[in-house]
Amino acid sequence: MSVLSQKIIDLFGGRKEERSQLSEKFWANLKHGEVVLEARGITKKFPGGVVANDHIDLEIRAGEIHAILGENGAGKTTLMNILYGLLKPDEGEIYIRGKKVEFKSPLDAINLGIGMVHQHRKLIPAHTALENIILGHPKAGKIVDIEAAKKEVQELCDKYGFKIDLDAKVWQLSAGEQQSVEIVKALYRGAKLLILDEPTSVLTPIETERFLKSLRSMAGTEIAVIPFITHKLPEVLSVSDRVTILRKGKVVKRLETRKATMEALAKYMVGREVLFRVKKPKVKKGKEILRVENLSAISDRGFLALKGVTFSIREGEIFGIAGVSGNGQQELAEVLAGVRKASGGKVMFEGKDITHASPLERLKMGIGYIPSERVRVGSIPQFSLMENIALSLYFDREFSKWGLLDYKRIREHAEKVISEFEVMAPGIYTRAAHLSGGNLQRLILARTIPRTKKLLIANLPTQGLDVGATEFVRNKLLDCKKEGMGILLISEDLDEVLQVSDTIAPIYEGKFVDIIPAEKARKEIVGAMMTGARAK
Amino acid sequence: MKLPKLKLERVLVVTGRDAVKISVLSIIIAFVVFSAFILFEGANPIDVYKCVFSYAFDPKTGLPTMIHRSTLLLFATLAFILPLKAGLWNVGMEGQLYLGTVGAFAVAYAYGDLPSTILIPLMLISAGIFGAVYGAFAGFLRGKFGVNEIVITLMLNNIAFWLLHALIMPPTGPWRGIAESQSRPLPVSAWAPTIWRLPFTVVLAPAISILLFFLFEKTRIGFQIKALGSSQPAAEHAGINPAKIAIFVMAVGGAIAGLSAYHMWAGDPSFRLIPRPDAYKGIGELTYWGIMVGLICLLNPLAAIPLSIFVGSLREGGTVIVRRYGLTYGLDRVFLGILFLSFIALQFFYRYKIVRKKKA
Amino acid sequence: MWPFIARCLEVATIFLLAGIGELLDQRSGVLNVGIEGLMLFGAASGFITALRTGSLLVGFIVGAALGAVFGFLHGLFSITLKVDQVVSAMGIWIFAMGFVTFWMDKYSGPLRIPSPRIGGLLSPMFFFAVVLVLVVWFILSKTHIGLKIRSVGEDPSVAEATGINVVKIRYLCVIIGGLLGGLAGAFMCITYLGLWSHIPTQGMGWIALALVLFSMWRPPILLAGALIFGVIWQFGIAPETLIPGFGLPLGVCRMFPFIATIIVLAVISTPRFRRKWGLAKPAALGQPYIKE
Repeated sequence: MSVLSQKIIDLFGGRKEERSQLSEKFWANLKHGEVVLEARGITKKFPGGVVANDHIDLEIRAGEIHAILGENGAGKTTLMNILYGLLKPDEGEIYIRGKKVEFKSPLDAINLGIGMVHQHRKLIPAHTALENIILGHPKAGKIVDIEAAKKEVQELCDKYGFKIDLDAKVWQLSAGEQQSVEIVKALYRGAKLLILDEPTSVLTPIETERFLKSLRSMAGTEIAVIPFITHKLPEVLSVSDRVTILRKGKVVKRLETRKATMEALAKYMVGREVLFRVKKPKVKKGKEILRVENLSAISDRGFLALKGVTFSIREGEIFGIAGVSGNGQQELAEVLAGVRKASGGKVMFEGKDITHASPLERLKMGIGYIPSERVRVGSIPQFSLMENIALSLYFDREFSKWGLLDYKRIREHAEKVISEFEVMAPGIYTRAAHLSGGNLQRLILARTIPRTKKLLIANLPTQGLDVGATEFVRNKLLDCKKEGMGILLISEDLDEVLQVSDTIAPIYEGKFVDIIPAEKARKEIVGAMMTGARAK
Repeated sequence: MKLPKLKLERVLVVTGRDAVKISVLSIIIAFVVFSAFILFEGANPIDVYKCVFSYAFDPKTGLPTMIHRSTLLLFATLAFILPLKAGLWNVGMEGQLYLGTVGAFAVAYAYGDLPSTILIPLMLISAGIFGAVYGAFAGFLRGKFGVNEIVITLMLNNIAFWLLHALIMPPTGPWRGIAESQSRPLPVSAWAPTIWRLPFTVVLAPAISILLFFLFEKTRIGFQIKALGSSQPAAEHAGINPAKIAIFVMAVGGAIAGLSAYHMWAGDPSFRLIPRPDAYKGIGELTYWGIMVGLICLLNPLAAIPLSIFVGSLREGGTVIVRRYGLTYGLDRVFLGILFLSFIALQFFYRYKIVRKKKA
Repeated sequence: MWPFIARCLEVATIFLLAGIGELLDQRSGVLNVGIEGLMLFGAASGFITALRTGSLLVGFIVGAALGAVFGFLHGLFSITLKVDQVVSAMGIWIFAMGFVTFWMDKYSGPLRIPSPRIGGLLSPMFFFAVVLVLVVWFILSKTHIGLKIRSVGEDPSVAEATGINVVKIRYLCVIIGGLLGGLAGAFMCITYLGLWSHIPTQGMGWIALALVLFSMWRPPILLAGALIFGVIWQFGIAPETLIPGFGLPLGVCRMFPFIATIIVLAVISTPRFRRKWGLAKPAALGQPYIKE
């Protein structure tokens, strides 16, 4: 009977009462250098046969900052999600202070004193920093004594050198401050072991420096043991005590940081020094097709997100905008697609002012847009592939007469582009909801590119795609370039921007830091500019 | 014996066939639950069902009225379906019906001496326009400013109710008839010509059903409506103007509901005037069942025809069981309510399906 | 003059009770557009109970309880079965209209049990409602459970990750919301009207819903809005108490509260207010919480 009732409770999404904080007792008498976390033979396979973690062993000691180094896709994040209880490993065991543990959910991990700061923020933007920190904590009590809680949190902040305005709403905080809020939240819940996933990827250089300093002071007090996941070598060298290097899901090297050099780490991380490079075709740039002057736009939250950008794109040119997300790229793309109003400035397309043109007028002019949100914006899941393709045909005289759609022609066109763009699906009547990420993006390209004549705006076109699909998308962009289109590429992946663009503009806080021809762009410099550093 | 292990699985998009199954199943469940209810009230359910439907479909007794009311319901359903295809909840069929009444009667009173062939089309056009303007107003507020259209159409319903009240009730009311709390009767030339005791308008509603079906399946605007209803951001990026579509669907929906006013008052020989407020309110409330019919027929305008007749026959047949079995008045509404609730509960299966757990 | 003001305050009481329940609902991310239906059930059951038992208190309790039952039903549909919240609430409302018509067909006319009124004018329920609004305000802004409710309404997945039981919180809110909706209906029927007539709510539940949208989910603004609409509603019923010799027919006067609602909703939707409104809106309002 009790099994049945538990099943019913599970079905209804219920969960037993929060367990009391175990962590205090569990972590008593911690000695410096003691092995606190041990993972043995962690293996995780994803559907589709990708082995993200292949028998990984890991050992973390108290009071150390342990860096886990690896390229994108090396399996770092998967490993950390397993340690935090978000994913279940297929094989392998986890021991904390010698005791075998099994996490059903992150709550189990939290109760054992494990905290995680994700690459993507897990905070409620409309609430204040303090509210986010105390949310769900049993210590907060029934009636929240704001002053007392604030004092306690403030002490925690002072101790580790975090500067946060606790009364500010989270959406008003910078990316760095938001991250501090998440760390303080984890500490306030009694985290003794803090997992930081790519913590510096959204920080400016100054913020990074300050952040690394707090990290040191946390490790120094011996309460926090910190795995620190990154692909940035200088940070590893400057703060970590030990490094574990992952490559393709396997541990390739463990070593102490003071014995490491930048070159040695790079070699372990990348493997053999062969990097695949997309061949940039040589295309003569034609006349200017897009000219953007001093364009600015306001975000949904009501602040100026795009603060006056000026640039132009010519035929056969790929103009790459590199930047960490949230720096105004989204707004720029939406203004150019016509779905967001510009708050100032001008957009000229082939010499015509289209600042106030509707999305439909832009589509008719041959401006194509590949949005970053593929499921919500780029396609309609309930629609069939053919109907999705019809979304960029319906307004064309060629496909409709007297207000009636010519479904025969639409079908022909759909069949043609679906085979051309290698969309894997049983047929054109399959609903888009059944497509995987890579296939969906192929569908969106198939919908957009054949209808695009002059200008293609690609917003994060390869984000979250596997290697094959990424390759496909990049090559399609280069094909468009060969046909003489102008392309605006917005990407968070610096390598991608460097690989395919002719001109590169790092964007930071709604402004271009610089506009550099690709021949002169060096990865380190552009990377620094993305986080706000000015070119000398 | 071991029970098979069951688990829930997410459904990405419900297929058409599954959705139809869910609708049919909800009707079956409603019959089963309601039977228990009738037993509780002290009658044999099968006899009651037989009695209800044989009365409703008997040409000598209930059939003409049943078809008349079913047609009204069909008008209301279609007025609800079209906006919801674009994602807008038009629950203002009641108000649009009243406004259509104002439009039709204003023409009839002003030009009562015109011949039927001119007067009746004029009344229909006027009723349609009045309903359309009323609907379009809500569509405009929703499309341009994003005001919640459910609240607005509901407010408009109440306003329209009191507007009719103000026209026929006070001693100085412009349309007040000789009999108290009724309007003046319609001139004879405004009466709807009948075919076999039924007004010609019973053909009009199914014709609109077919037109709407054609609109959704074949036309450009229908495609835009479906796209907007499925995903507003995706539709907007594809160049569809949500404000324009919102105004269009609400105006056409309002016009359909407005037309039903002529059908209602000029098409039923027992009215041919605006009756007392509680009587026209009763008719107005009937239109709300259009919401249920529209949802259960999965917004398919053709499926709405048989379903409207089903609901209409229950309503009409429900009047007879009160007399014959001594059951409480309004049991038919309880049946419909149960049908609606079971349909809602089964919507769970739009998102999940239960599958047998496979051994790893 | 004083009787008129007292009647205004009683109408405000109805809006307050229904509105504060709906506000709590919406703060936890559940939209219940069917408060009119909850009020109908509360009104019908409260009226019958009071008529049969002769006790107003029992009437209020039964009305509130039935409201809570249908609040729970909305929760069952929209939280557990993950049905679209608008569809679920619409269904309950239309079910209420049908069922109450059937149920109350035998009853009509006055209750003949006078409600206690302070100084013969004003029901103490008004003060109860005002206190309730302040209590809800306090809970939402100062207590941990309030913080949890708001978090669940903003982002249930983040709330769940910090160990909050989203389902439990949402159920709690819809049941309390339903309870207050039922109480509002019972109060309206037993005390304010003192009689049963066909569908006595006459759109009051919808105005309460509009008031919640207008209040930007802040109880003090709801209080102000309810008072203003109490006056407008009562003025529509008896305009000549305020302006002797007011010439417009009853039908026109009764339109006032509905017209005022449309105006208010249109005004808060103008670009100036829209962004503020969008920021105040619980981000997860209207979306079923589906764990991936």
